[in-house]
Amino acid sequence: MAFPSITDREKKGDRVIKRLASRDEFILMLFAVPGLLYFLVFKYMPLLGNVIAFQNYNIFKGIWDSPWVGFAHFSRMFTFDEFFRVLMNSIRLGFFSLLFGFPAPIVLALLINEVKHLWFKKTVQTIVYMPHFLSWVIVGSIFINLLSYEGIVNQFLHWLGLSRTDFVTEDNFFLSVLIGTGIWKEVGWGTIIYLAALSGINPNLYEAAMVDGAGRWKQMWYVTLPCLWPTMIVVLLLSVGQILDANVEQVLIFLNPLVRDVGEVFDTYVYNIGLVGGQYSYTTAIGLFKATIGIALVFGLNALSRRLTGESIY
Amino acid sequence: MTKRVSVFDVGLATVLLFLCGLMLAPLIHIISISLSDPLFAQAKLVYFWPKGLQFGVYQKIFAMDEMWRAMGVSIVVTVGGTLITLVLTSMLSYSLTRGRMPYRKLVMKLILITFVFPAPIIPSFLLVKSIGMLDTLWALMIPAATSAFGVIIMKTFFQGVSNELLDAAKIDGCTEAGIFTRIVLPLSKSVLATIGLFQAVYHWNAYFPALMFIRSKELYPLQVLLQNLVVKKGVNNFMGDVQFELSMPVTPEMMSAGIIVFATIPILLVYPFLQKYFVKGAMLGSLKE
Repeated sequence: MAFPSITDREKKGDRVIKRLASRDEFILMLFAVPGLLYFLVFKYMPLLGNVIAFQNYNIFKGIWDSPWVGFAHFSRMFTFDEFFRVLMNSIRLGFFSLLFGFPAPIVLALLINEVKHLWFKKTVQTIVYMPHFLSWVIVGSIFINLLSYEGIVNQFLHWLGLSRTDFVTEDNFFLSVLIGTGIWKEVGWGTIIYLAALSGINPNLYEAAMVDGAGRWKQMWYVTLPCLWPTMIVVLLLSVGQILDANVEQVLIFLNPLVRDVGEVFDTYVYNIGLVGGQYSYTTAIGLFKATIGIALVFGLNALSRRLTGESIY
Repeated sequence: MTKRVSVFDVGLATVLLFLCGLMLAPLIHIISISLSDPLFAQAKLVYFWPKGLQFGVYQKIFAMDEMWRAMGVSIVVTVGGTLITLVLTSMLSYSLTRGRMPYRKLVMKLILITFVFPAPIIPSFLLVKSIGMLDTLWALMIPAATSAFGVIIMKTFFQGVSNELLDAAKIDGCTEAGIFTRIVLPLSKSVLATIGLFQAVYHWNAYFPALMFIRSKELYPLQVLLQNLVVKKGVNNFMGDVQFELSMPVTPEMMSAGIIVFATIPILLVYPFLQKYFVKGAMLGSLKE
């Protein structure tokens, strides 16, 4: 009776391992398929779908049979006064949201970080995070109620002897309302990333600063802020790329016919004119224009930041 | 440092208490209006405490079939959408953490590219339309199913599961599918919970997708119904065509306030208990690859 030699057994073992391995590969690929399909269909197909910006897209003919028109929609865009108004509104909203919205969570995080009583700190955190979890429909409804002509804010102004203003239908206040409610909803949530960075600061640095005679303000200025710098740069870079992406859910809630001239931004315009109005090709061109600016901003500032501060996101 | 309370501490506490007040006051005001006697509400005398406590508004809201149907839709989309997200994201992320997966790096790059180039609105809409999802709840659950962000977070977590453990399972004859379902998933409850919670909050609060994709009133989620009733002042019309058995009259403002509170309460109730998971999730999201 011939026993299989050791080498034979090894060979057989190899085969088994190989078979198992190829089966594992197959299973792993099967695992990836649904997710991959998702990315191809819902992320890549719409990117390809951008070609309708160069067509006169007809919903009955589809992408394949709609006539090509080159850059006609883009040139049409630049001849529209409306387009420039939307562009300026988007830039204004994006710029001021960033100007006030970016430092707000940093200041709040620095304040929270100074609290020494744990229970007080936790309570404050729970309360300031909360608005993040309310939908824009809810936040919008609440503030429209508060800021309307007879709302509690105007009652207060009246009590102070000031005149009433309907903040939600007044051109001059539209931007402030958007920025204010945006900060109200997200400032607390925005502190999380900074508080995480703050908790990572080496306590020795503070001790050293104290030995050198630094008080609380000087410690904040010379220890805390420099340690937050990298986090701040990353957050800033990420938000600059989205400067033209107004929050549709927010703006649509506050938008009303009385403030349309100052309130219409790219995303609401694409929704109103494109989706509701059926001008698919024209608004896709606008979306493409907006996305291009956003991407250029991110890459440009990323390169700039890498040169100047050594921090970058790519 | 001494334990004595300094001027700085008092100032700090005052500022923070004021900020907390700013966060809570709008909610308290709305709740108070909804619970007050219509006479006081009409006269705008309600501030931060209900006057002439009554629950008529809520009796009316509870009697609205529309409201319950919309809530049902929201629950279906939230639960269904979150499950789809967890299944897709975890399976894809797991395959990307295993060295044996072919084209692993290429796939990861393809996913990361979608970070920089987000899907545009109109082409996404036309896509959903062309695959026949328009005006179905699938349109709310599928297009938002996963993201580069979610995959990165889960992949990072899965990579933290000890390799020795997986190898041991392999030696004991476990297949990749077995390792995934019996070892990796049970060890990853916390990341599944965080991603699931984020997605659930997203679905519960989203109204723009429904605005784009849903036409039939029966399929309106809660947020869209809210928008129609409160922001577009549909409450006034609604008050006209529903007959109330209650003798107590209710003003449209109170009705709006009540509807706002009704839709907010579920999240306010669960939020404090889930807060730590959310914070953990936000921190995971800030990880740099």
